[in-house]
Amino acid sequence: MDNAMLDTLTEYITTKILKQPGRALNPQEPLISGGLIDSFSLVDLALFVEDTFGVHIDDTELNASTFDTLEQLISLIEARR
Amino acid sequence: MSIVQILVLTAIALVIGLMRRGRLYGMLTASVVLIYWLQPDIDFLGSNRGFWLASATLALAVAGWFLTAAPETRSWRQNWPAGVAIAGAVLLVDLSRYAGLEHLFGFLTPRPHLTLAFLAGLLLAGLALGYLASRRGWLLGLAGVGILLLFVLIKAPGLMEWFVSKAASRLGVETEGGRIAFSWLGFSYIAFRLLHTFRDRQMGRLPALTLAEYVTYAVFFPAFSAGPIDRAERFVQDVRRPQPLDAEGWLFVGQRFFVGLFKKFVLADVLAFLALNEVFAAQVSKPGWMWMTVYAYAFQIYFDFSGYTDLAIALGRLMGVRLPENFAAPYLKPNLTQFWNAWHMTLTQWFRAYFFNPLTRALRASKRTLLVWLIIFITQVSTMLLIGLWHGIAWNFVLWGLWHGIGLFVQNRWSEWVRPHAGRWADAGWRQKVLYGLGVVLTFHYVALGWVLFVLPVESVPRVFGILLGLAGG
Repeated sequence: MDNAMLDTLTEYITTKILKQPGRALNPQEPLISGGLIDSFSLVDLALFVEDTFGVHIDDTELNASTFDTLEQLISLIEARR
Repeated sequence: MSIVQILVLTAIALVIGLMRRGRLYGMLTASVVLIYWLQPDIDFLGSNRGFWLASATLALAVAGWFLTAAPETRSWRQNWPAGVAIAGAVLLVDLSRYAGLEHLFGFLTPRPHLTLAFLAGLLLAGLALGYLASRRGWLLGLAGVGILLLFVLIKAPGLMEWFVSKAASRLGVETEGGRIAFSWLGFSYIAFRLLHTFRDRQMGRLPALTLAEYVTYAVFFPAFSAGPIDRAERFVQDVRRPQPLDAEGWLFVGQRFFVGLFKKFVLADVLAFLALNEVFAAQVSKPGWMWMTVYAYAFQIYFDFSGYTDLAIALGRLMGVRLPENFAAPYLKPNLTQFWNAWHMTLTQWFRAYFFNPLTRALRASKRTLLVWLIIFITQVSTMLLIGLWHGIAWNFVLWGLWHGIGLFVQNRWSEWVRPHAGRWADAGWRQKVLYGLGVVLTFHYVALGWVLFVLPVESVPRVFGILLGLAGG
């Protein structure tokens, strides 16, 4: 797993979405099914991923079955780069 | 659906599951025949209307394939067996009356030459649609609008009646069109499956599907009348590589099947005696009793619907198809957002994928920056309003949609405000558990009050709310 990517995503999620800078986020923690990220923030996260990593995440893919944890999101990004 | 119907469907699924070859054609043929068998009686026996309504469902599915088929799956060689299976199934239904089986279906089947004309017409119309769709990209969009208009016509009470009576008076025929609206079995689900394939085809995301795969996906009999709404690319993966049924698989099927039967035919059916309805709404005057009817309704609708889903999942699994889950303990969720991630999940995922996400994305990315809270308000409320209207075009569903849309918005603003202030405090040990428990109770009651709007006509609502909240009655 790309650690720089993990740090970038963790920072974005904790500061912009959870509004708790410095909060620890386990790469295996369920973000969507665990209720940390709601559907609105999920679209923002997709836009952030697209701008930052140049990878498109489709509207139909924004759900827990495509990715639910940071680890899964990172493998999705890596697979598309 | 009656228990006898469920048992017949189970036996069919078992037989198909045992087939080593041709399982897809088994599922296709059974699904087509069952569209007709499950279609409820519209009026007294002696009319063909039920037959034609079921035929309209089939026609939609077939036309959907012609509109969306990729060039590599269009050839006759690939699709003639499916064409024969579909036509054979329809003719089998039609000819049943000559075998003394006229009571098998809730309608009289028409004379064979009419059915043959229907099948020939369907083929010709399909070929024409396919030819046009491959040359004119806008046709898919137009077909999508057509499905939506049909949806409005079917779901708005009185509109279909008005439409049919106008059309009939022009033709000089007497008719009772209004009944069609309430008895077109499976239409809401098939319409949304088709819309998903139309949109995905436009975006170039739809996998290449053969006629057999597409029609089976659209009218797959375990999910035909009450969902779940699967996605075509997921469904077809299982069809092409069915999940073998090992010991663990059988255990899963057995569990889901018996749990489903128990939820639907014991729990839901018993709770139905106590559940809120128009009579209780008018007669019950004590808050405690009124709350009991509301609780009973909340659990009745959950057990009924999730019981159906359990049965659909079990039957699908028998044939190697893992239908998606529709419920994940929704009444144990600590907030409304999580409730909607766990209630009728395949419908909410559909609306997210094709309405909420594109709208949010467009508003977030637009040059004229709107305030974040305004975007959240617009997207949440409009999405929930549409989910309400999916159930029927009536004021009570509008109010129910608004209730949940506004609830989601308020919850979003609340957690946005509370997180930076109390996030760490609330994350610690016992406090988290207590807050979680309080959240579950609050969310459940918000949802339960929402069911009052869902189940009753608007004019009965003020009395019931007054009694529930101790403002009236007593």
